Amino acid sequence: MAQQIKVPVVGESITEVTIANWLKKDGDVVKMDEVIAELESDKATFELTAPQAGILKIKKQQGAVVPVGEVICELADGGQATPNSKPEVKSNSIVSTPTAQPMKSTDGIKEMKVPTVGESITEVTISTWLKKDGDFVKLDEVIAEVESDKATFELPAEANGILRIIATEKTTLPIGGLICKIEITEGAPASTAPVASAPTIAPVSSDKSYAAGHPSPTAAKILDEKGIPANQVQGSGVGGRITQADATNATPAKETKPAASTTPPAIASGGSRNKRNEKMTSLRKTIARRLVAVKNETAMLTTFNEVDMRPVMDLRSKYKDKFKEKYGVGLGFMSFFTKAVCAALNEFPAVNASINGDEIIYHDYCDISIAVSTPRGLVVPVIRNAEALTMNQIEAEIARLATRGRDGKLSIDEMSGGTFTITNGGVFGSMLSTPIINAPQSAILGMHNIVERPIALKGEVVIRPIMYLALSYDHRIVDGRESVSFLVKVKEMLEDPGRLILGV
Amino acid sequence: MQYNVIVIGSGPGGYVAAIRCAQLGFKTAIIEKYSTLGGTCLNVGCIPSKALLDSSEHFHNAAHTFKEHGIDIPMPKVNLTQMIKRKSEVVKQTCDGIVFLMKKNKIDVHTGVGSFVDKNTINVKSADGKETTLTTEKVIIATGSKPTPLPFAPFDKKRIISSTEALELKEVPKHFIVVGGGVIGMELGSVFARIGSKVSVVEFLDSLIPTMDGTMGKELLKSAKKLGMDFYLGHKVTALENKGKEVLLKAEDKSGKVLELKGDYCLVSIGRKPYTDGLGLEKVGIELNRGQVPVDNHLKTKVDTIYAIGDVVRGAMLAHKAEEEGTLVAEQFAGQKPHINYLLIPGVVYTWPEVASVGYTEEQLKADGKSYKVGSFPYKALGRARASMDLDGLVKILADKNTDEILGIHIIGARAADMIASGVTAMEFRASAEDVSRMSHAHPTYMEAVKEACLAATANRPIHM
Repeated sequence: MAQQIKVPVVGESITEVTIANWLKKDGDVVKMDEVIAELESDKATFELTAPQAGILKIKKQQGAVVPVGEVICELADGGQATPNSKPEVKSNSIVSTPTAQPMKSTDGIKEMKVPTVGESITEVTISTWLKKDGDFVKLDEVIAEVESDKATFELPAEANGILRIIATEKTTLPIGGLICKIEITEGAPASTAPVASAPTIAPVSSDKSYAAGHPSPTAAKILDEKGIPANQVQGSGVGGRITQADATNATPAKETKPAASTTPPAIASGGSRNKRNEKMTSLRKTIARRLVAVKNETAMLTTFNEVDMRPVMDLRSKYKDKFKEKYGVGLGFMSFFTKAVCAALNEFPAVNASINGDEIIYHDYCDISIAVSTPRGLVVPVIRNAEALTMNQIEAEIARLATRGRDGKLSIDEMSGGTFTITNGGVFGSMLSTPIINAPQSAILGMHNIVERPIALKGEVVIRPIMYLALSYDHRIVDGRESVSFLVKVKEMLEDPGRLILGV
Repeated sequence: MQYNVIVIGSGPGGYVAAIRCAQLGFKTAIIEKYSTLGGTCLNVGCIPSKALLDSSEHFHNAAHTFKEHGIDIPMPKVNLTQMIKRKSEVVKQTCDGIVFLMKKNKIDVHTGVGSFVDKNTINVKSADGKETTLTTEKVIIATGSKPTPLPFAPFDKKRIISSTEALELKEVPKHFIVVGGGVIGMELGSVFARIGSKVSVVEFLDSLIPTMDGTMGKELLKSAKKLGMDFYLGHKVTALENKGKEVLLKAEDKSGKVLELKGDYCLVSIGRKPYTDGLGLEKVGIELNRGQVPVDNHLKTKVDTIYAIGDVVRGAMLAHKAEEEGTLVAEQFAGQKPHINYLLIPGVVYTWPEVASVGYTEEQLKADGKSYKVGSFPYKALGRARASMDLDGLVKILADKNTDEILGIHIIGARAADMIASGVTAMEFRASAEDVSRMSHAHPTYMEAVKEACLAATANRPIHM
């Protein structure tokens, strides 16, 4: 005998309800007056209680809209499980709360491979897994962060299902390499799915553990006696634990007793001799490879000049407040340099060109790459059509790119296709340097620090704020006359900013 | 006589400290008030109670389980005199062992009450009134503890007794009343329950062995009830009187309902208090704090050359805790820097089944708001337990929900006290539940339950369940 439970009349104007939540599972034994479901009308949420004890047989699934008076479940007599209810009871490892649709395996496996992320990118490194092996992942959910030599991008899941990680963190894969598999399932496990549904296949990775740096009892004693903090010792035990031998071999950072010796002691005897081996990131590897390639494959040399920064500084201090007020960005030196460079590039197109096989590509636009130092390393975002931008637009664009660079969010597009590069070693205090060309471009302008120097002006020694400029260029397509004239032009415009307006 | 170190008290803390001092090359003396060395542990504590526990367990098996094993014997009878005699021999041999160890390590033993004259001078007054004055550079106080009496009913040592007298009874009590369901009460209560006494345990709190994980208390209650012991939990004792041939106990439950029990003996095991009588601490300016000798993390008192260890200082009153402290102090004297991880001092109850635990209890983890997971495995599902008919018990593993690191191990069952050592090892090395579950455990052994419980904690995947 099964008692049918119908949607009760809950209010005058309410004709239908939605099943918000089954609090009991199909096949569960429920007690009288126990709340078995939450129902939702357009006005309120209310609880459905069992009118008698019995075995629950659900007729309408969660989310279903049911008219008042219709049967939503049945309660069968007796406490013994009916055959019908058995499978659900057994599968407690998968369905633990009623909020979830039962998860069904559909036998499909989606293999996720490294996508083509950019023209010149041949390999990527898995930087971080955001999901664990065995986790349930949803379609389009970000499951990992992948790093190429140009940018970091996010990897979305290509299917719903159980994640099976193939390439562990820090693994480098070629384009098309297998990253992970997703065992495709329908539905999702409950958010509180017990661990059982996600058995850990891989044992805890041995090089990274919560116990890394934990000394054994004897190791702790030895380290304390030597006065070495445990965090200064590399643990060689399982999971990075500090073994007795690690502690015995550990050396304190400072010798407490100077060696009694007739020969003068070596000066460096007190310092740490510790060495660390770290894998190069793909970004670092690429930088290394490219820089060497440029040195080898171009005929690079550098020309220098100096700029009296007084005029630009005067102009800037005079208008920087108004500029900030009007445009919301600060007036820096970069906009002056960018404008000056664009004007000079316009006059000397070879400096803005690049070599492609037997051809020279001339650009009728100035896409200026700006070297930015970020925690991940040097990145070079591009200001597009800088020649057409106003000073404030340039400042705003630089600020935007720099922020994205610091946050590691620059896209590959934002970093490719520049025609000329400006790098400012002056921010770190560089007086003079010979920058390396950002291939395939043919020239790079190096800015440096501004220092008050005595110079001869109209027969007198005066003190002026001076910046040295360096232009490294590829002599294969840029002649000395062009490069030197380019740099002089930049210098002249900066020393007399009025020329920037007049274009002379 | 001039010493480097004088240890006052020869219990497991004191004699271990003395041996370690001697090993490290210090000229060492030990002072003991009683005629035998070894303190409470060896004379009236751990060793004699274990001797009786085992005797009573053998009797219990002979009377109840031999038949099932296929051993037919006439109904066995308890010879308590012989049991006590055997116990005394065990105690004597163990104490003699300490005498031998003192000789071997060239430690001078002075019998008598040691008391401070000043921080470098100790007076030893022997039972016959003879006094000796010793001088020393350093002193280790290891005077231990004594049973606490009920405030209204001091020990008369005849009917109202402490554990000391309970180990020397001449007859099997008809009704043995135990006040206090802690470790000592449960151990001795179970001894007499097994040799035929009716045993009633009156406990003020609502659970047994309340400092241990809640599951342990519940399981112990179940198995003790099987043994026929009666329990009055949540009862406050209001009166206890020696009526000559019997004791009369009155208690009240929380609703004020009065309970009256008549028995021939009443064991009062409500705790122990540090023992410093006659030590002359006032001569060196050391003031007690709730009966304890205050010490810093290095177990040093406020006097630079005086240290204290064991039951007389803060922490659990356990022989093995005192031993670790004795070693620590001795090594500190030699300029070493040892450690004690107090969290990982195991707690043990020698009932049968035994209870043993290390690390955090589930109640502590809850109170600290830590996210943890639980894996447990019953002895019932263990081939080894079935073979020996020791089916009561379980292993409960508490592990960090995120890292899987083991946070607590709680075992009730046969051999639990021996098994807990491997739990301490795992936790000293901060093993995860999965780490332990991936280590081979010999079959068939009780330790397999630990592995299975770890599997259960790791990912709810025990094999034999």
